Amino acid sequence: MRLNASQITKNFGHRTIVKNVNLTINPGEVVAIFGPNGAGKTTFIKILATLLRPTSGKLDIEGMDAIADYAQVRNTLGVIVHEHLAYPTLTPFENLKFFGQMYGINDLENRCKTLLAEVGLQRFVHEPLHIFSRGMTQRFMIARALLHHPSILLLDEPFSGLDASAKQFVIDRITQERQDGKSVLITTHNTELGYLVGTRFFFMINGELEEIATKGEIEVEALLHLYEERLIDTTSN
Amino acid sequence: MKALRQIAALIRKDLGLQFRSKETLALIFVFSVLVVLIFAFAFGPEFPTEKTERGKLTASVLWTAFVFAGIITLNRSFTIERSHGALHGIRLTGVDASHVYLSKVVSNVVFLFLLEIVITPIALQFFELFDDVTVGIFLKLLGVLSIGTLGFCAVGVLLAGMSTSTNGGESLLSVILLPLVIPIIMGGTKCTVSILVTGGLEDRFWLGLLVGSSLIFLASAYLLADAVIEE
Repeated sequence: MRLNASQITKNFGHRTIVKNVNLTINPGEVVAIFGPNGAGKTTFIKILATLLRPTSGKLDIEGMDAIADYAQVRNTLGVIVHEHLAYPTLTPFENLKFFGQMYGINDLENRCKTLLAEVGLQRFVHEPLHIFSRGMTQRFMIARALLHHPSILLLDEPFSGLDASAKQFVIDRITQERQDGKSVLITTHNTELGYLVGTRFFFMINGELEEIATKGEIEVEALLHLYEERLIDTTSN
Repeated sequence: MKALRQIAALIRKDLGLQFRSKETLALIFVFSVLVVLIFAFAFGPEFPTEKTERGKLTASVLWTAFVFAGIITLNRSFTIERSHGALHGIRLTGVDASHVYLSKVVSNVVFLFLLEIVITPIALQFFELFDDVTVGIFLKLLGVLSIGTLGFCAVGVLLAGMSTSTNGGESLLSVILLPLVIPIIMGGTKCTVSILVTGGLEDRFWLGLLVGSSLIFLASAYLLADAVIEE
């Protein structure tokens, strides 16, 4: 397995945001976690990305202890979160070049140009990031996440705020990365899109993660129905 | 070699961002000129005839301007990193936090040193010391200012890294930084007065205090950088 999270808990003050979560992700797998706002998805993905330290629990990534050896683990991760993780006054090319230098990537200029062309930003290579629309920014963030050929992609709400064509682009890209043997984790509250790209499905509600089914075991309507049921149960409780 | 390449790239990026927007540059330049003007208006138009008094006045004006311009620069330099999660982006590359710290110290020192090169002659002119300062004295003056700036930035970068991650961080930085840099300000102002009045450093104690405290701050902040940037 590529990623193994065991009994992960995160407290902020007296509030427990993530509760004893266990999760494994294997190569070529797309794990989709569905959950409403405030369920703890972003906190959990930041813990997996080593940006937040869990209060308790164990996290192994590519056979390394991700809590102790976070610097080594980070090279294997491609991350998209709500923030740009980049400098808005720099162009996409300048941003990729800078982060590429940090990763120590060879033949960097070509890698940046190829990636920007792949995500369809070749016409905007020299425009600063702050003038980009949400969809263009998301394309840039995908390029930034893929820059160093990571083996694991952690994508927090990759479809939010995107139009139909941008959503299709993200779906195609995730599918391509899965076919290339990468492991992908996405969090979303859009069950239909999550079902489309995912191979294994989880619900995260009130910080607790529940495994639902693999793609072969459940239809999209049943998944949607189950998700709505869980949400109603939670609000009525 | 990889570490040096990373630090160089980080410094290039920091200076590039600061010079591209020119916001901070304009702000600290205007602020420093304003400090010089306020003191010049308050004490002028006839300044003390004794060179010692004018030297003391100029030293206090210079250090007041540079300390507060430094706080503005430190705050800005971390606000850029925090506002769109760019610092998380850097952390995700696996770069050592101490490299990030060192690059921030260097870029802030360079930035403030450029300000000092411009503002010092202006202050000397306003306080009627310009004609007494030779190139040699001016270089000594810049030497003392740069050592002080290094010590100030050494501890300032660490505290700015902490304070900008909290609400109201900009004002918090002044409150926590100024008491800590008192040895640097004391040593720096005394050395500056000495250079302006006698052309050299009469009392080595103040230079020792300035250099010693700057090095201690740099070493201890370097060791703490990982905890501050990662948390």
